[in-house]
Amino acid sequence: MTVELLNQEFNRNLGQLKSYLVRITASVTDAEDIAQDTYLKAVEKINTFRGESTAKTWFFTIASNLAKDNLRVQKRWVENVTDITKEEALKNKRFFQDAMEINLTSPNGQFEAKEHIAFCFTCISKSLPLEQQLCIFLKEIYEFKVNEITAILDSTEAMVKYYLHTGRSKMIDIFDGRCALINKQGVCHQCSELNGIFNPKQNTQQELMKIEMVREAEKGNKEQLFDLRMSILRDTDPFKSKSSELQLHHLEHNRQVMEGYLKKSND
Amino acid sequence: MKRLITFFTTLTIMTTTATQAQTVKASTVKTTFHRETSVSIEIKSDSTIVWALLTKASDYPRWNSTITSIEGNIVLGEKIKLKSTLDTKRTFKLKIKEFEPEKKLVWGDGQGNRIYTITKNGNGIVTFRMTEKIGGLMFPMYAKMIPSFDQTFEQFANDLKKEAETIMNTK
Repeated sequence: MTVELLNQEFNRNLGQLKSYLVRITASVTDAEDIAQDTYLKAVEKINTFRGESTAKTWFFTIASNLAKDNLRVQKRWVENVTDITKEEALKNKRFFQDAMEINLTSPNGQFEAKEHIAFCFTCISKSLPLEQQLCIFLKEIYEFKVNEITAILDSTEAMVKYYLHTGRSKMIDIFDGRCALINKQGVCHQCSELNGIFNPKQNTQQELMKIEMVREAEKGNKEQLFDLRMSILRDTDPFKSKSSELQLHHLEHNRQVMEGYLKKSND
Repeated sequence: MKRLITFFTTLTIMTTTATQAQTVKASTVKTTFHRETSVSIEIKSDSTIVWALLTKASDYPRWNSTITSIEGNIVLGEKIKLKSTLDTKRTFKLKIKEFEPEKKLVWGDGQGNRIYTITKNGNGIVTFRMTEKIGGLMFPMYAKMIPSFDQTFEQFANDLKKEAETIMNTK
């Protein structure tokens, strides 16, 4: 591969790569740093690329390795991350002031419940063991095949299947217990609450019914509901969507809160 | 013709049910001072998957209908707290006594040991075997109070087979 071709391929995949990185690190700075380091590493190793995999797989392999070094030393988040971070947000006037300002002034500052669903999945997925989280994102969102994920994570096909199955089962269970959009007994209504705050003129129930996952909820097919949730993530670019600035601001808040929370629980 | 199809469908269902029922049968050998229950089952899965399922403590209740919780890490020398459907009020405090990846796992206490073995058959199939031997000098005094393990063992083995094969078939 020539450097020119590498540049073309890298630019073509950069959007997806950064989207993957911000979702697994929950940090815009880390995502951008790792994306840049991925490019540098790819240039350095250009002669080792033999075209046995696609360039996309190769970039995701380098990026995953760089991210894993960082993520392995960090504690995993907790399933009820959104409860903990909500409590902290309610105590923090500045958080809502900044969010309102983004909402009023940024072209990517509208609140969309659908995008909040994607954001929420990003946060809760950080409670899974790292390998399970990476496998789910690679397969369900970035549409890699099992053999490609095996190469990206330097694992075995059997273990990738294990991580995929267990991760998926856990996330289905968590959302079934928490998400009021798919289960009337669910304890979390944050997307409805936030929609009421940012879009007070909207009828929140009507807005939510525009989401296929919500419409399908009554049928109670948990696997299908999970697939619909995944399609929301596939359709949402965390850097370019209508809500991106608002959601990234929220993500940064949650990351800081979780770092403090995990540090405290460690002491 | 319709009747013929129905007959063959019924026959197929009966054969399938019979095969499933035959897949696993626990056996118990009793002596005055000991009781040993075993079960063995063939699983069409990679041994790493079976091993991963057997050694991830917190994940047991998700796939195993005989275990309600396991606290702790399944690592050599560690202690775990296990709650089972056999006796829901009791917490078994067990030590991991042997830990040979993808081959053998043993946990137990002063009264007995539970031994899990995985044998690769070389054709994408593994044989999983589970044995528990309990007993001692005082065993005759409380033997009657301990329920039979047979059904739980069969359930355990079937659950493991189902889960490992489902994972193996992930696309």
